[in-house]
Formats: sequence, C-alpha cells, structure tokens
Amino acid sequence: MPEVSIYEDLSLVRRRANTVFWVISALIFLALSFYWKVQIVDHKKFSGLAEANRIRQRALAAPRGLIFDRTGKILADNGASFKVSFIRENVEDMEGSLVKVGRLLEIDVETLRSRIEQYKDLQPFEPIVVEDGLSSRDVAPIESRLLEFRELVVDVEPRRLYPNGTLAAHVLGYLQERTPDELRAEPDRAARVGEMVGKTGVERQYDDILTGEDGKIIEVVDSLGRVVREENARQNPVQGGSVVLTLDHRLQARAEKALEGREGVIIALDPRSGEILALASFPTFDPNRFITRFTPTEWRDLMSDPLSPLENRAIRGLYAPGSIFKLVMSLGGLEFGFVTPDTSVFCSGSTQIYGAIRHCWYEPGHGSMNLADAIKNSCNIYFYTLGRRMGIDMIDKAAGLLGLGEITGVDLAGEKEGLVPSSEWKTRTLKTPWYPGETISVAIGQGQLQVTPLQIAALTAIIAKRGQRKPPHLFLSAPAGGKGGVSADEDGKPPFKLSAFESVIAGMWRSVNDGGTGKGAFVEGLDVCGKTGSTQVVSRESAERLSRAGREIKTHSWFSGFAPRDNPRIVVTVLVEYGGGGGATAAPVAGRIFELFKDIQEK
Amino acid sequence: MMIDRRLIREVDWVLLGLVLLPSLIGVFFIYSSSHFLAGNYYFRQLVWIGVSLIALVFVLVIDYKFFVSLSVYFYGLTVALLAATLVFARFIAGTKSWITLGLMQFQPSELAKIVLILLFARLFAEYKSSYLTTQRMFFALLLAGVPLILIILQPDLGTAMTFLAIIGGAFILAGLRRKTILVFLLAAIVVGIGGWSVGLKDYQKRRLTTLVNPLHDPRGSGYQVIQSKIAIGAGGLSGKGFMKGSQSQLRFLPARHTDFIFSVIGEEAGFLGVLTVIGLYFFMLARMFSSVSKARDRAGVYIIFTAALLISFQFLVNILMIIGLFPVVGITLPFISYGGSSLLTNFVACGLVMNVRMRRFANV
Repeated sequence: MPEVSIYEDLSLVRRRANTVFWVISALIFLALSFYWKVQIVDHKKFSGLAEANRIRQRALAAPRGLIFDRTGKILADNGASFKVSFIRENVEDMEGSLVKVGRLLEIDVETLRSRIEQYKDLQPFEPIVVEDGLSSRDVAPIESRLLEFRELVVDVEPRRLYPNGTLAAHVLGYLQERTPDELRAEPDRAARVGEMVGKTGVERQYDDILTGEDGKIIEVVDSLGRVVREENARQNPVQGGSVVLTLDHRLQARAEKALEGREGVIIALDPRSGEILALASFPTFDPNRFITRFTPTEWRDLMSDPLSPLENRAIRGLYAPGSIFKLVMSLGGLEFGFVTPDTSVFCSGSTQIYGAIRHCWYEPGHGSMNLADAIKNSCNIYFYTLGRRMGIDMIDKAAGLLGLGEITGVDLAGEKEGLVPSSEWKTRTLKTPWYPGETISVAIGQGQLQVTPLQIAALTAIIAKRGQRKPPHLFLSAPAGGKGGVSADEDGKPPFKLSAFESVIAGMWRSVNDGGTGKGAFVEGLDVCGKTGSTQVVSRESAERLSRAGREIKTHSWFSGFAPRDNPRIVVTVLVEYGGGGGATAAPVAGRIFELFKDIQEK
Repeated sequence: MMIDRRLIREVDWVLLGLVLLPSLIGVFFIYSSSHFLAGNYYFRQLVWIGVSLIALVFVLVIDYKFFVSLSVYFYGLTVALLAATLVFARFIAGTKSWITLGLMQFQPSELAKIVLILLFARLFAEYKSSYLTTQRMFFALLLAGVPLILIILQPDLGTAMTFLAIIGGAFILAGLRRKTILVFLLAAIVVGIGGWSVGLKDYQKRRLTTLVNPLHDPRGSGYQVIQSKIAIGAGGLSGKGFMKGSQSQLRFLPARHTDFIFSVIGEEAGFLGVLTVIGLYFFMLARMFSSVSKARDRAGVYIIFTAALLISFQFLVNILMIIGLFPVVGITLPFISYGGSSLLTNFVACGLVMNVRMRRFANV
C-alpha cells in the first residue's frame, strides 16, 4: 500500500511544526535556567525576604523607674493602664453588638459607632481602641464578662502615675509623647510609638536613668498583618532605674499648703549639702493629666492661663530681690571696706541724695543705726548711703560673689540667670552711661536687678555656712546606678571674710528674734535668722501716686532665712507674689516651715 | 454511534497520562493554597477534571472531520455568545467574560479558542501552496478578528493574546514570507504605540512597566511579581514542604490557586518540583508535536499544531509571567491552575489532538 497515493504530501507543514517545537523547547530551557537562578543561586536572598515578610516585631513598653523622696515615699509610680479595643471581625450583628458594648463600657452608642468608623480603613481584625486609660477597678467588670464579648480585647500597659497628684509637680515635671521630630533626631534609638519621655523637671533631667528597656515580641503575621502565632522569642521589658530625691514630702506638702491660693515660691534646702528639701511653686498642675491626655479645652485653658501654672517660678520666675539685697550690700560693704560693723548712719525718715528726696519705708525714721540695726530694721537710708559709697560696680562684684546673675546649676532644666546691672552692662546693652542715681535703687534691691527665688535660697545658704558654697540640687541617689546631682566647686575660698558674715548674721538674727521685720518667722528654740523684702512691682513715682490716692499698693513679699544660727541645718526662702510686706506675709509662712522642720528633727 | 475497537487501540494513552498527571498535581497544590478559604476549590477542580474527561471522550468518539465541517456553525454560535456575554454578563473582577449556566459559570471566550482551531483547520484544509497569500491571510484575520475584538472589549487581554497565538501558529504553518513578517512587525509596532496611548487601560500599562521594574509599584501590580519571585526563590532546591510555604499559607501570594499556582509549587516543592512539572510539560508538548507527523491530512496537522501551540503558549507565558519575565496577563497554567473553563478547553484541545492521531489511517 504505497502511502503517497493515499496521503497528500504534508512534509512542508510538518517541518514547520517541528521548527516551532524546537523554538518552544529552547524557551522552556531558558525559563528553566531562570528558575534555577532564582531558586538555587539567589535562594538566600529570597529566603530572607520571605522571612522578613512574615515576621513582625512588637515592642512591649517598659515601666519607668520610680521616683522617691528622701524618706522613701513614692512620688512617681507606675500604674497599669487598661485599654479596651473592639475587633470588627468578631462581630456578627454590628448593631446589636454596639448596643451591648455601649452598655458595658457606659459609652453612648453613637460615640462608639463614630469612634469605630473613624478607623474603618483598618483591616477588620485590627483592634480599635474604644476606651483608654482605665484603672484595674474600672476594667474588672469588663474583664469578668469578656467571654460574652468576643469582639472586645483588654490590653494592659504600664503608665506613669503620680500618686500624690500635684505634690512636687514642678520638681517632678511631666511626660509627653516623643514627637516625630525627636524620633528622627535619634534614628539609632529603638523608639516605640506613643513612648512617653520626660519634658520638664526630674523626669527630663534623669530621663536616661528612669527610662527602661522596652521588650519585644516576635510575631508571625500573614499578608494582611494578622497575627498567626507568637514565637517563643519574647524579650521582657526591663524597668528603668529609680531615683531618690532630696525632697522631704512633709516639708514639701507643708510648703504647698502654705502657698495655696497665692502665686509664689517656697524653697527649703539643707545648707550643709545643698540638698533641696522642698521646692514649691504655685499655682501648680497635676502631672497625671499629661498621661491621661488633656481634652482640647483643658489644654487651651492651661496654656492660656495668665498665671502660667506650668512655669516653675523657683528657677524661672524673675523678681527684684528688694530688701533681701541688703544682705549683699552689707557683705560687700564690709569686705571692701566701705563700712565697719560699727559705722553708723542717722535715719530721719528721708534723705536727699543726688538732688532727689529718698524716703525710708519707716516714715518717722529709725534714728542712728549701726549695720546690724540697719539689717534688723531693713533701713533704706543706711543702704542708700552705703550704695552711694560703693558705686554700682562694687555692688555688682559683691552680687557676683554670692552667685547672683548666673544660674545656680540646680539639676532642673530651664533655669534663668537673672540680672545684676553694672556700668559695663548698661553701656553694652542700653548704649547709655550709668547714672549714679540708679545705684541708689539697686542698693535697696530695686532697679534692673532680677533674681530667681532659688538664687536667693542659694545665697542664703552661703551666708548660713559663712561662705561655704554647696550648690542646690535634687538628686540624692540612684540605687540601680546612674549619676546625678551637681558638681560642686567644693570648699572654695569663702568669698567674704568670716567677720563680715558674723556681722550680717547678727543683723539677721535680730531681725527675727529682736522685734525686727522678720519677727513673723520666729520659732521658739530654733534661733532663726532671716531677712525680709518687699518688692515694688510698680515704679516709685506711680507707687507714691497710688498711695496718695489711698489705694493699696501690692508688693511682692520676700523672706529668706536659715536656722539655727550656729551650725545651720535648713534654709527657707519664701516669695509671695503681690503678698504685701515681707514681714507681714512671707515671714510667717517661713515660720511654719521652720516649725515643721523642728518637729521633724525632734522626732 | 459505536466506536470501533481498533480505534480504542489507537487512543494515545501516553498523552492522556501526561495530561492527567499535571491535573492531579494541580489538585494537590490547589488544596495547599486554598484549604483555608471557603469553597472547597480542590473538590470543585476534581469535579471539573471529571467533566473534562467526559468531554474528552465525547470529542474522541466523533471524527474530527465532522467537527471541522461544522466549524462554521460553531463559529456563528460563538460570536453570538460572545456578543451576548458583552451585553448581559455581570462584571466579575473587572471584566465581562463570564456567563452563568445554571450552577456553573462559563467563559465563552474559552470555547472560542477551540472553535478557532477547527475553523482554521477547515480554512487551510485544502490550502496546498507553500506560502500564505495576502488575500487568504486577510480573510483569516477577518474571521478571527470578530471574536477577538469582542474578547478585547470584555476586556480579557490574556485570552486575546492566546488567540493571537492560534492565528500566528496557523499562519506560520501556511507559510509566511519574509515580506509578510516584516509587515506584521511594523503593524505590531504601530498598534503597540497606538494601543499604549489610546487603547490600554492604566492597569495594563502598569503591568508592562512593572515588568521592567517591579519595585516601581511594590504595593500595586509590582506586588504580585515581587511576592511570586520571593515565594519561588524561598523554595530553594527541595522546597519548604507541602502546605508549608509561608508565602502561600500566609497569603502573601496573590491568586495562589489560579494564575500563580506555579509559584506555590516553586515554594513548596522547590526547584525539583519545578523541574518535574516543567519536564512533564516538555514530554506532553513533545508528544503532541510528534503527533503532527501522524496526522492523515492537512486539516489534522493544523488541528494538532494549533492545539499544541495553544497549550505551549499558555504554559510558557504563565511560567515566565510569575517569575517576572513576562507582563502579568491573566493567563493560567494549563491543567494545573484552578478553573473549570480553562481546564475544559485544554482537555478538549488535547482530545482533538488524540482524535486526529487516532484516525491516522485512511481506511478506518
């Protein structure tokens, strides 16, 4: 059976088909070699990519270190903060669930719905926080019924808690969430979203010690980010180290109580070491509010409050020192030989200096007085005379030796340095020469002089220790390690001779114990020494005009003193804004602090 | 109509085996990549394999010459069906390519492939000159163009491309002169540029740019290729094990049980699995192309060749696409990917090849 006769000649198309098959075979071989490259040659790279795809790290927040006062009382603690989240995926009947959940959490259904709808772009398995910042007591009834509510999960995170509310708020400071800018600034740091960081006070100063080490969980996730399972590799968070402060909560509480309702500052410190025992600034705030988040109105009110409660007046409030400055004048006058303890000046109630009539605060006049009398009575005429003799630059020198015009170096951020004017300063900044008449205002602590209450407390401590300088500080110890406090230029040469200190202290003792302006601070058996001050807030001319009009002139009220006279153990500085005369307002407040200190010491 | 005993002897059991084996491998990997989804895809695929086998037997029983002679009617019916699809079908995944027949959904464009194979077999059955004339070429293009345009309108770029493979295959067989090839290339460039600026949808353009640089759009169309390559590369030599691929089990891979099933095989069975499957295909295609020499007549040659080319084209495009050597067009891996219409079409195409080979003796 000859094939040709039956079958047509198909050799041409068959050849073509064959060629096409060879082309296809070549392509298959090409594909295969590419698979070999991806699967064998580049296997490691793609393996790593596949791992990275499915592994996710989640940070576990570390609790911050505790802050104690010197007696061991906790000033800053960690509470557990519970949050309740809603998982849409686990809901069958949305409406019914919203009603039930709303009843359980005591949230209005519409609020709940809008909160959930805010996050409707999230994957349905992702929890949406519907209630935040709950205490363990709030969450107990919710947790007990969690089995009925598959759509709810309760998470717990450590959260800063200030158990005493506003107590020592300005010392402790507050926390805020690390901002995106701060996160960018430290790219190496493993930061966690929502991490709180110290913004002011001790929380900021010792943030490095207080911040713990976050832990982490490694989770296997699917392409939508849903957690499939948790790996065993769990690294637990490490709590931050605690910090013990020099504060004594009893003195601190007393100081805050004494200030309540008035703007002002009370500082108590130990002159032997510079340890600050109490530092109160009023008005104050509750640092807990920074943790639980403000409502917008609360925040606006706080920021626009004319009394600026967030400001720590002890280190950032600038005031004229008033008659407190007479201590500086006295020490300078004695040291530089412008007066001796026995130099006497006659006060007739007023005097004429550089062609202007100047008044003493005591109109009848104090009569003839030596230096100690002048300090006791806070006589203006005496110090006008001394000021004229010294001149502004010697005054500036004396103030500088006592630490005015520069920061004390306390371990709190944002301290201000104040201002001590000098002829050089005036020509430099105001481009006009110094007029001798201006010296007279400075001599009684007015004029351009500006000090912080902490500078006055530090100055008083130098006097109390007869020239020994112990910079004020808040850091006592960090049990788990970590450095703090201030570096003291210890046992430097006393800036003034001992006799000068003794003369000034004699005046300060008489001010309190011998019927002087500071008698309000008298405490039986404690030998308090101190000096009052009343600072004119308005200019001299308008003050006189107001007094003629029969208006009450409000002045800032100062007292700064120490006790006991020999081997002093405490310095107390009080400033009450618009408090009136220093003797009438500040001295009695200081007396209450001295009293409590005495009680504590005797116990 | 009883089938002759001698014919049963001539059935290409080897090819049937080479087709069934990948189909069963497919069921396993469909299970692996979709067991966490509702819908029992692996079981449905098994049912479809059964349906396809019945269809294959049906195709074998009837002489292919009969199909060829009816191809004009099939053609008319298919064009009508495609037009109806365009008018009545709902959009599924952005295209109007599905019609619902009772419980089953079916893509008429799949059926159109078979019809085109038969139509071209008829068109070229008596074509004995060694080169394709321009006249005949335009006639063929006109015939194929009508359903092709209807499919492009759906729009279903993948199926349209397989159409071009069938048309091109028939022309190559009929004989293309150099001049004609040049004209085609020029036309392709013009249509390409024109289509790019006018005809292509944004997502289609993105797919083409993604081919050049997948990282250009890692969350969009580049995502599929990146994840697919990661899956394949992570598989290594021997794979991560059945149902143990993190890319597929954790759903990083898109379209795991359909277009990207070969990525799942690459991840879970490794290069050895890839080699096995590609090897099976090579033998399957070799078997089909070798049947060309067994065909009794010209129509048979055209049927075998275009059918084999249809399967080769889909296979090559799919395995090149999932590894980033070809744009992501919706072309599935024949016999392995989940999907009834495509399974049925490929089984029927295979049945036609077996049909021609079986009836290679003129006297039966």
